[in-house]
Amino acid sequence: MKKLSTLALTALTLATGSSIAQDIPKGGELSVITKLTDAHVRNFNPYNDAVGLYFAQDFIYEMLWIPNIMHPDQPIPVLATSFDVADDLKSVTYELRQGVQWSDGTPFTADDVVFTVEYAKAHPDYNIRGINWYNEDTGEGSIIGVKKNNDHSVTIYIDEPNGLAYLGLGQMYPLPKHVFEKIDDPKNFRNENPVATGPFTNVEHFSPTMVKVCRNENYWQGDKPYIDCIKFPQYSSNEQAQAAASLGEVDWLGVGLTNVQAYSRKSEHNKYWYSAGGNTNLQLNTTKAPFNNLAFRQAMSIAINRQDLHDFATFGLTTPTKYPIGTGEFYASWYNEERLEPYKYLMEYNPELAMEILDEAGIVDQNGDGWRDMPNGESIDFKISVPSGWTDWVNSVMQIAENLQDIGIDASAHTPDENAWFEAVPTGDFDAYIMWTHSNVVPWGTYNDLFNPADMEPGALSFQAMHQMKIPAIMESLDAFTRTVDREEQLQHIGDVHELVAQNLPVISLFANPEWYQYNTSRFEGWSNADNPYVRPMVHGGTPERWQHVLNLHLRSDQMAQK
Amino acid sequence: MRFLLTRIGFYLSAFWVAITLNFFIPRWMPGDPATHLFVSLRGKMSEEALAAIKVAYGFDGTLWDQYVAYLGKIFTGDFGISTTNFPAPVAETLFYAMGWTLFLVGISISVCFALGMLMGIKAAWGQGKFFDSFFTPFNVMLYAFSQPVIALLLFYGLCYQLEWFPLGRAHPPMVIPGFTWEFISAVAYHAVVPLLTMIIVGIGSWHLGMRNNMINLINQDFITLAQAKGLSERRVVYRYAARNAILPQITSLAMTFGYVLGGAYIVEVMFNYPGLGKFSLAAIQARDYAFIQSQLLLVTACVLVANLISDFANVLLDPRLRYAEAA
Repeated sequence: MKKLSTLALTALTLATGSSIAQDIPKGGELSVITKLTDAHVRNFNPYNDAVGLYFAQDFIYEMLWIPNIMHPDQPIPVLATSFDVADDLKSVTYELRQGVQWSDGTPFTADDVVFTVEYAKAHPDYNIRGINWYNEDTGEGSIIGVKKNNDHSVTIYIDEPNGLAYLGLGQMYPLPKHVFEKIDDPKNFRNENPVATGPFTNVEHFSPTMVKVCRNENYWQGDKPYIDCIKFPQYSSNEQAQAAASLGEVDWLGVGLTNVQAYSRKSEHNKYWYSAGGNTNLQLNTTKAPFNNLAFRQAMSIAINRQDLHDFATFGLTTPTKYPIGTGEFYASWYNEERLEPYKYLMEYNPELAMEILDEAGIVDQNGDGWRDMPNGESIDFKISVPSGWTDWVNSVMQIAENLQDIGIDASAHTPDENAWFEAVPTGDFDAYIMWTHSNVVPWGTYNDLFNPADMEPGALSFQAMHQMKIPAIMESLDAFTRTVDREEQLQHIGDVHELVAQNLPVISLFANPEWYQYNTSRFEGWSNADNPYVRPMVHGGTPERWQHVLNLHLRSDQMAQK
Repeated sequence: MRFLLTRIGFYLSAFWVAITLNFFIPRWMPGDPATHLFVSLRGKMSEEALAAIKVAYGFDGTLWDQYVAYLGKIFTGDFGISTTNFPAPVAETLFYAMGWTLFLVGISISVCFALGMLMGIKAAWGQGKFFDSFFTPFNVMLYAFSQPVIALLLFYGLCYQLEWFPLGRAHPPMVIPGFTWEFISAVAYHAVVPLLTMIIVGIGSWHLGMRNNMINLINQDFITLAQAKGLSERRVVYRYAARNAILPQITSLAMTFGYVLGGAYIVEVMFNYPGLGKFSLAAIQARDYAFIQSQLLLVTACVLVANLISDFANVLLDPRLRYAEAA
């Protein structure tokens, strides 16, 4: 139906285009922090969530196809060169790159991909990214089969038509069949000497304070990587990593560094770029008063001073959310400005209007205690929960409570320990929470998490669906979204979802969290930044674009000249 | 003999109570390892990954089954799997951290003990003179300041403002561990301020203890006799008075060593020192049950063994205990 190979070809040129230049200096050891830890433990299992993925994904193991979230029209083909979604949307065929070898010299073929997909079925306790087999008992998952077409072509079959399936499937890191077929218990496998296709497969040094992985001599991109090795020095705390970054000891990291002035002042090479990540919203318990009242929710949204949230509570590092739709700048390419314009007032600070709305809805002080009450006389007082110690969020919630008190609503902040905070979610016993959203390649996943009624079972609430407002029209639009691969149609469906969220306000949109990214320009160049935002720039696990990023980095040309 | 058997019986039951609490207390805290990992990433991990991790960590059976399995494993030296570093065995990081703690706490206790003894002896012998009237209150004052205060002051002054010493760690991550001058000097340099903190605070109690013991002895007849015999002052002080006064101090030294494996929480956390205290704190925050209980087990065992040894030592050294038993 929709051949994506031409697209792939353009992206490939983009990816390798810069390598035509002859004067790119080679060598150098890049030092990065992907995870804070008290001591490194040797584990290069790409699907180990505690340790392995931080080193092994993208640097050592490669994906089939990286969705380029910042530029959805320029995806990054890696081990697959193209893919084809079948007309009935029930299968995806991947054409695999030829001439790729595992680091031990064994050729990479369709057998490895088929093996990886089947391995996921045999080992359900091993979290192979993107590969979820259909489970008859739970109804979860979607894959029903996998077939090798030839040595470099694989087709994966799914149970229901789904135009989005390729997004998840392509994010698989194929495993080397000849290594993993001997492993019976992959979740406990530490893979101390990885065999992989990626740019840095050679573990040259390992100690609890330092890991060093160096270039794969069999790498399939001749002149890449430009750098020789990646070093992972061990840092245990945010403060420690920030100090090291300020002193220029680390080239690439992503810690919650909020005092950017002090950091930048220390050296001209200390750079950062905090792009917009997933949105942060207030989740309101709409099963009870006052949150079951739409006028009340609207007044709440208008009463919040979002400029102050940005400037003071979150140190100027967040990105304000434009529309009351639960998502923000991360999905800016999906906005339909025209349709959303009428709802923009809900995001603008206007305490007078908020009070007017409340007065009109009969939410006024009836018992003379100075706080507004519900029309039936029930008094309003509620708590907004936020984990203690999450500074920016605690600041935000305290400010929101003050904003609400200003319009006569008795709101206050509640700051439990983060574990207690999270454990209370499924019970449904809460008033309001400040909560993140999940970022995906397309907004479908984010909204499905927010509105899937299956996640609203009393006693087993999901933390994304805490508002518990069931809006069938949203689910219909989301379903329709998955039945097409046409972007125009998808935009139409997401536009419907946006409007329904703005009309119902099940969550109050606040701001987009910063994506922490600091880098140092004293040794390396080629960084993705605001001037040249070619990929999401973060170094932490779960950002597959870091593959493209690290392959683009090279020693500074002027440094070579000095030598 | 009956005395010793009673003591051993007491220690065994104390050990059982302690290891039982070690098992249950961490599990009574809200949260679990998978949830903690998920929450701390603030939305960076998908729900599918959380579900997968819960399966992977899979604590088999009921709490009671786990408890029985845990009791069995204690005696085989199997400390279990760490969830923070899943699936690495706890022992891997536990023994790494133990090395640094033994280094730091071992040196500080030895120095404190030696200096405290000498100062206590000098203060007691010259009771009321300048040394005594200055250093005794001074050391007691420092002792009362406690580690957090001294650690903060030294950290702010020496490390942060003057930048004479590093801001933390045992050595820079880029320095590869080994028997090289680069590594050894880095370790020594990084240990200065943490050690100084522990020593400044630690001397006071040894000083005071020794001084009090000495003062009680100085007026005893055998000291007067020794002086009357015309022995040198040095001989009287060290061979007659100090030698007797040091006995109870040795008992407390044994006890102090029992607590070594608890790690130096304050100093290790303050200076980001990779010792047991630092690791335990991280393990508690991450709800890494296996690590928490192994660390507590080590402390329990060491404290009990140290107590047992000091009990034995007392019986051997103090005839009155043996006579009491015979009577």
